[in-house]
Amino acid sequence: MNSKKTELVVVGAGPGGYAAAFYGADKGMKVVLVEQDKRLGGVCLNRGCIPSKALLHVTKLISEARESKMRGITFAEPKIELNRLRQWKDSVLGKLAQGISGLAQKRGVEVLYGRGHFEDSQTLRVETKDGQQFINYDKAIIAVGSQPSMPAAFDLGNKRIMTSTEALEIEEVPHDLLIVGGGYIGMELGTVYATLGSRIVMVEALGQILTGVDSDLIRPVKNYAEKAFREIRLNTKVSKMSTSGKQIKVAMEIEGKKKEELYDRVLVSVGRKPNCEDLGLENTKVSRDEKGFIKVNEHQQTTDPSIFAIGDVAGGVLLAHKASKEGRIAIEVITGENVAFESIIPAVVFTDPEIAWCGLTEAEARAKNIPIQVARFPWSASGRALSFDRPDGVTKLIIEPETERILGVGIVGAGAGELISEGVVAVEMGATAKDLAESIHPHPTLSETLMECAESFYGYATHSFIKKRSSKEEIVT
Amino acid sequence: MVDVKIPFLAEGVESGVVVSILVKEGAQVKKDDTLLELETNKATAPIPATISGTVTKVHVKEGDEVSVGQVVVTLAESGETPKALSSGQTKETKAVPFQTQRQPAISSSALQQDEYRYESKSGFPPPASPAVRKLAQQFGIDLTRVKGSEQGGRITLQDVKAYVERLQAVASGTKQSVSSSPQVVKSTSIDFSKWGPVSKKALTPLRKTIGQKMQESWSTIPHVTQFDEADISGLLEMRKKYSASYEQKGARLTVTGIILKILVQILKKYPKFNSSLDENSNEIVEKKYYHFGVAVDTEQGLIVPVIKNVDQKNLLQFSIELAEIAERTRQRKLSIEEMQGGSFTVSNLGSIGGAHFTPIVNRPEVAILGLGRGTLKPIVKNGKVQTSMMLPVCLSYDHRVIDGADGARFIQELVQLLENVDETIFKITESEQKSMGKKSK
Repeated sequence: MNSKKTELVVVGAGPGGYAAAFYGADKGMKVVLVEQDKRLGGVCLNRGCIPSKALLHVTKLISEARESKMRGITFAEPKIELNRLRQWKDSVLGKLAQGISGLAQKRGVEVLYGRGHFEDSQTLRVETKDGQQFINYDKAIIAVGSQPSMPAAFDLGNKRIMTSTEALEIEEVPHDLLIVGGGYIGMELGTVYATLGSRIVMVEALGQILTGVDSDLIRPVKNYAEKAFREIRLNTKVSKMSTSGKQIKVAMEIEGKKKEELYDRVLVSVGRKPNCEDLGLENTKVSRDEKGFIKVNEHQQTTDPSIFAIGDVAGGVLLAHKASKEGRIAIEVITGENVAFESIIPAVVFTDPEIAWCGLTEAEARAKNIPIQVARFPWSASGRALSFDRPDGVTKLIIEPETERILGVGIVGAGAGELISEGVVAVEMGATAKDLAESIHPHPTLSETLMECAESFYGYATHSFIKKRSSKEEIVT
Repeated sequence: MVDVKIPFLAEGVESGVVVSILVKEGAQVKKDDTLLELETNKATAPIPATISGTVTKVHVKEGDEVSVGQVVVTLAESGETPKALSSGQTKETKAVPFQTQRQPAISSSALQQDEYRYESKSGFPPPASPAVRKLAQQFGIDLTRVKGSEQGGRITLQDVKAYVERLQAVASGTKQSVSSSPQVVKSTSIDFSKWGPVSKKALTPLRKTIGQKMQESWSTIPHVTQFDEADISGLLEMRKKYSASYEQKGARLTVTGIILKILVQILKKYPKFNSSLDENSNEIVEKKYYHFGVAVDTEQGLIVPVIKNVDQKNLLQFSIELAEIAERTRQRKLSIEEMQGGSFTVSNLGSIGGAHFTPIVNRPEVAILGLGRGTLKPIVKNGKVQTSMMLPVCLSYDHRVIDGADGARFIQELVQLLENVDETIFKITESEQKSMGKKSK
């Protein structure tokens, strides 16, 4: 029997798993990294963040070329070669995956390709293509991630019913595409397919797209989607799908009214579920919550003393950067440091325009009755935003009234994802609105909107006139 | 009614001591509010309310030892939150303190004196940079107790430092007041009576003080003791010669008195032996005064009175003072001031017996001279064997301040001075007596 001993085994080489494995090796541990895919990087690199952003980059080019017409620059209608687009996208992923495996090698992290299965609290069996390997470890970190949920009623085995995984492969650009679920995955992929030429109908069971995001931040995205999509149907439930020739027949109930339609393809983006099946968790003391996610405390410890869990499989928000941070926490706890997860987790939705936020949101403050003041700065007052014709943005600060401390930042607008980090630093540093207002921001940039937003809190933003106190009166209690 | 029990705290932690109780009976609490704080051998753990409601009973008091599973507080559920209980139980994992591999730098029992508590209407933790927060985590510092000095109450590294320093001051203060007994590993009581009859007597306060002082000196000072012998035949002859005239003045001329007088000369030459070590500032403090401690045997035990300014008194004056203070010492009539300020100590066991011994330095002094009983011994002098009265001389000193070579020089010169005693120190003149008389008043 093939068996080896290691200090740390990390199961899953996504952004949480490889970050943890590398950090563990950097701290001097003997680390084995187990990955069932042929390539490292996990969903993020292979079927999520990175490919979707590569595609969004291309679609942005197309939209901008189209919009230039009104500015006196006219391009011919783009000719889209899906094969080459796919090749280019895959080459990006290949490059990144290679980078990760190179970094693993340099650090002396042993990568084992195969599916991991816990035999007991101290042993992991890995099914490699060369047979079984048994790893006897001191500590294990589970970082196996999540996968798109596909409700059984839609799971016909028809490739025209896609999850985000298949949609990112863009086998074709369907003429009529139904997107079930108006969360950030549906919105991002909807943007891609709409720009490539699909007619899109989006259905959402709740009364709003992008649930959970502040409504003032959603507004510009909704305006865009209402133009780019054929239709957005809220309060709508899809009850049944069936194959109808080369199309999918979909039965839905729109605010109580029944309707049946035919679509060329359907994208189901109704959430994600943890990859806990077939992992052998029942052979350990690891326990799971009612949704199937592994239960952890703020030190990433599961209920099994030798096993940690990080990232999507441990629940919470399903974001790559949260997984990476949790990976670092787990390693530090394993190496004896007294640390806990207590960071704020920024979120970015790569729609058109982008939405980004961090810390406390206005909606959350309302729901929890937290007294706050909100300062807003519209991008229509930003020279930079106007210079590239995107005044459809807003920057806002959520402020603690007595201390003027910044509790949260929300931004909607082109490039919001790149801007939010300043907000993260401000919130993490316990900065006050004064701190932001007093820091010089370079002109002309979008980052100025953060400074001017802070200035407007005190009633003296240069490019926006707000009657004194008016912004201060905006107290939510 | 819901009983709040001590939850599972950490691997290997079965019990803890209640260091503070934050609620009173009848008080309204919200779910997750801290009810009391527990100090375990690993860390300090807050015990939260499992539901919102009213405190109907507090079952423990501060200082109680409690173990996992023990009921500490009973809560009555408030009407509007009937579901709170079940969710409270799942949340219990959150209250479980992480098993710290490292002891927190300061236990929160010391913090009790510190009233400050950060409060925010938004319910957010106090503002501090991620670096400062991580440091606080690692050292087990609760940032809600640290007052932030920056705008918006932000806590800086300086604030944390100042807080820790204050805690240390508090902690060392309580340590001194609490543990008046020496820091020894206490042995478990042994029943000696099983081997034969015994009688028991409680330690007197004086005995405890002696023990503590000796333990302190012995454990902090790296001791060296050097031995020698001095031929005091000449010194004793001199004493014989002057005894009568001293007695006429009401004074008893003693070997101790004579030696103390001689010591002044040699200490002036070797000022290091008349110094103290300031461990905080890392300085050697040389004293320009000569206040000598003299070990006195009393019924209750050892007491060391201090005779001030020995260099400024002649032998007659000094002998009177020595006899007088020794008598008051035996009667336990000394004031505290009369036992303080010594710069050097002499312990003369000669009147009782014994030869060489190893005296313990009287901290914060750095050296002590021990004298044994003089005995007639055959010695070789100028190539001839003769009998002489040989006095055992023992010098202990603090090796942090004094090296062996200095010790050897000191003891060798002391022996020289004792063997060739300067007769002038014995002489009494009328004028001297008068002037001394004035000074002593």
